[in-house]
Amino acid sequence: MRRQFLKRAHEALANPTLQKALDQNAERRESGRVRAFSTLQNPEHTLNEAAHIRRQTIDNLESYLAQFIKHAQDNGIQVHGPLSAHAAALAAAEIAKEHNARLIVKSKSMVSEEIELNQKLEAAGMRVVETDLGEFIVQLRGEAPGHIITPAIHLLREDVAKTFTSELNVPHSTDVAEMTETARRVMRKDFLTADVGITGVNFGVAETGTVCIVTNEANGRMVTTIPPVHIALMGVERLVPSLENLAVLLQVLPRSATGQNLTSYVSLIQRPRAGSEADGAEERHLILVDNGRLAMHRSQLQDALLCLRCGACLNACPVFREIGGHTYGSAYPGPIGSLVSPGLFGIKEYGHLSKASTLCGACTEVCPAGIDFTKMLLRTRGEYVKSAPQPAWLRAGMPLFTWMMASPGRYRRVQSFAAFFLRFLPNRGGWLYRLPPPLSGWTKSRDFPPLAAEPFHARFHRLKSTGKGSYKVDKKHQEIQTQEDEPLQGDLIVRFQEELERVDGEFVHCSSKELPHKVADFLASIEANQILGWGEQSREFNSITNHLRETGIQILEAEIPRSEDGITRYETLVGLDQAAAGLTTCLAGLADTGTVILPSGEGQSNLTSLLPRTHLVILRAKDIYPTFDHWIRAGGREAIASSSQLTLITGPSRTADVEMILTLGVHGPERLFVFTID
Amino acid sequence: MRVQLFITCMIDSLFPQIGEAVFEVLSLAGVEIHFPTDQTCCGQPTYNAGYRDHAKKLAKRTIEILARSDDPVVIPSGSCAVMIRKEFLELFREDPPWQLRAQELASRTYELSEFLVDVLSHTEFQASFDGRIAYHPSCHLLRGLGVHSQPLDLLKHVEGAEVTSLSPDCCGFGGVFAIDHDEISSEMMNRKLDAIESSGADAVAGADVSCLMQIEGGLRRRGSSIRCSHIAQILTMKEPGLR
Repeated sequence: MRRQFLKRAHEALANPTLQKALDQNAERRESGRVRAFSTLQNPEHTLNEAAHIRRQTIDNLESYLAQFIKHAQDNGIQVHGPLSAHAAALAAAEIAKEHNARLIVKSKSMVSEEIELNQKLEAAGMRVVETDLGEFIVQLRGEAPGHIITPAIHLLREDVAKTFTSELNVPHSTDVAEMTETARRVMRKDFLTADVGITGVNFGVAETGTVCIVTNEANGRMVTTIPPVHIALMGVERLVPSLENLAVLLQVLPRSATGQNLTSYVSLIQRPRAGSEADGAEERHLILVDNGRLAMHRSQLQDALLCLRCGACLNACPVFREIGGHTYGSAYPGPIGSLVSPGLFGIKEYGHLSKASTLCGACTEVCPAGIDFTKMLLRTRGEYVKSAPQPAWLRAGMPLFTWMMASPGRYRRVQSFAAFFLRFLPNRGGWLYRLPPPLSGWTKSRDFPPLAAEPFHARFHRLKSTGKGSYKVDKKHQEIQTQEDEPLQGDLIVRFQEELERVDGEFVHCSSKELPHKVADFLASIEANQILGWGEQSREFNSITNHLRETGIQILEAEIPRSEDGITRYETLVGLDQAAAGLTTCLAGLADTGTVILPSGEGQSNLTSLLPRTHLVILRAKDIYPTFDHWIRAGGREAIASSSQLTLITGPSRTADVEMILTLGVHGPERLFVFTID
Repeated sequence: MRVQLFITCMIDSLFPQIGEAVFEVLSLAGVEIHFPTDQTCCGQPTYNAGYRDHAKKLAKRTIEILARSDDPVVIPSGSCAVMIRKEFLELFREDPPWQLRAQELASRTYELSEFLVDVLSHTEFQASFDGRIAYHPSCHLLRGLGVHSQPLDLLKHVEGAEVTSLSPDCCGFGGVFAIDHDEISSEMMNRKLDAIESSGADAVAGADVSCLMQIEGGLRRRGSSIRCSHIAQILTMKEPGLR
């Protein structure tokens, strides 16, 4: 394994495309992360809080897991496991078979890579489509993801263009927006016809049984809304005790992962579609994946379970930057992979990864979960040395080194003996340029200083201590004081607008009297004559829909036919897919991220904010809260419990999966208008 | 005040001149120096390679030698200081009596620049340097000990020196990593060398000789005339170059 790793590393270093792509990733991701954290009032405090929550969760993993399972079941979600990799994949395949699934759409899930789910489903005769743009690209190429957040990190746009031309039969174009449009078109049909949707899970909320999924492209929403069956795969450690805790982790996960204050979409899934609801999966399954996690929980590598899978450690790692994700030979590359792979898949096979690090600590510095990578990597090395044969020079050299250093006399004799011999090696300016193995690795690219003929300990007696000892020790390591979180200052509407516009949303502030005309004018400007709209809502909302009907705009109330009637189902969906815009209200706005919160239920279809290219939302100014946490405490908790699927929407659908170039409207709307009324 | 000097095996056997400079710096700062002559290595190479039983042997030795007096211990190396201050605690986490002794030692162990600035508040050494110095923030010093401003503070008091800080990216050394992952290590080093060369520096200064050995070894191989210096060498106005 180690030899293959070094071979792949050698190839990666010689691959200029990969090197360019990795450099871009490292530089842009780090600056994005720093910027995003700077928008928090007190980043250090939030990070400490997040790390504390993760620690508390992992310390009490079994009890939170039991709580979560119970509440999810009470909500009507069918829970399976915790299961091994093999059993988890089998369980998913069984569910799909029961529903005679032919087409499965998937949003990004690293745990599905870990259990090699696609291979198993395909072997059972099903077609599996990865719908995250990056995953879609690597799937077309028959590759594994190169990064846990940015699967196509290793490719430049020319590579993607070639793949699209050969696999999708489209004209060659290196324009990222055009390629994204192609992907949207190709996958839209799959979303509308899929029998089963599979997702990962970012967080399972123990106290409510809520399944939280974050995506940017809206593919996660498609996959959990349209197909009649939804299967969620979740590593058993991805828990969070409470909704308030979730609010904290949602502040750090997107910032660490992609440098966003919040991802475009956060889905809070509570239960399957109920009787009168407009859409959503009719059956929801949750497959809990153990696959070594519970054993790791009992081991000295427990802290690796703190991970949020944000990928910040990959972006910060100078070794990852040189060799890329594929070199690691595991679903989980980079520093976190070097802990998780040996911990879950075997120390013998993957322990060598812990040595592919200089212990520089860049990963620890950026980790929002508080993992001490250096400590964990060193523990892994300790285990690895005991479990797998080491190179001969280390096996012999380490005891020899210890034996020598255990006695000052021996150390001195060996030192002077070696110094004598090194004098005969060729040198340039006094430094050696060719050393024998195993040190030859050093002198391939560096000169090495010869050992001193007269080491320091032999010189010391000549040195005279002239100090008088006139100073006093008065310093101990200073404690860093954490400041209390101050309440958000300033006008909430102003902040909301600022944040919304930062994420490419469009803000309109008007009176409720002007509102119907503003909406109508906008729809006229995009020549929309058919839109999706929610059913009867508030007085303001109804005055808009009435006005729009008067101007000749047809408003369709989206509702997905039940799975019993497959044919009308697809036709209905295709019909709804023609609408130019979707019009909804929302429960609340969040000033710190420019987010609107949409419920779902009777007359409130998810599709309205999902299928059309433009989404118009009506927000009452008084419903703007400073943060998600404020909203949860002011009634959001009840709203989450009563909505089968609640969505936080922050700007339009977006991707940066190709060369990190931002493109809007991947699967969801490319424009988001928030009409804010007083 | 009296301090115990832990010189590190690398300085002892490869760069004794740096040891002399460290001695001079501490003398100039007015402290009395005691050098326990039976010191060897703190055990870091074996610890980092995963050989914990071996590391424990050398760690116990080091603790015993430095526990003969309760004087502060000063180490002219960020990574050896991290080993003694943090990693000894991890090494003995299942051995409470030794962990207690490690804890006691950790509480009075300092890296050189940290000791000079934080403990002695001594930053003025009447040194001068005609040219530009690029400071290399070494990983263990920066992220392991949280020491960054102290060495810069010392360098900024050097008359005539124009001091810049290099990025905190790792130089690629990593101990055994530099040998058994030599290709990756070299690529990481090359980034650092490029940054040094484009910075227009006349010398590279740092507080970890292992990183400086990697950097100067690389610069020499490239045929560059830029040399590295331990901070103590700059403060005592030694010619740039580790040896």
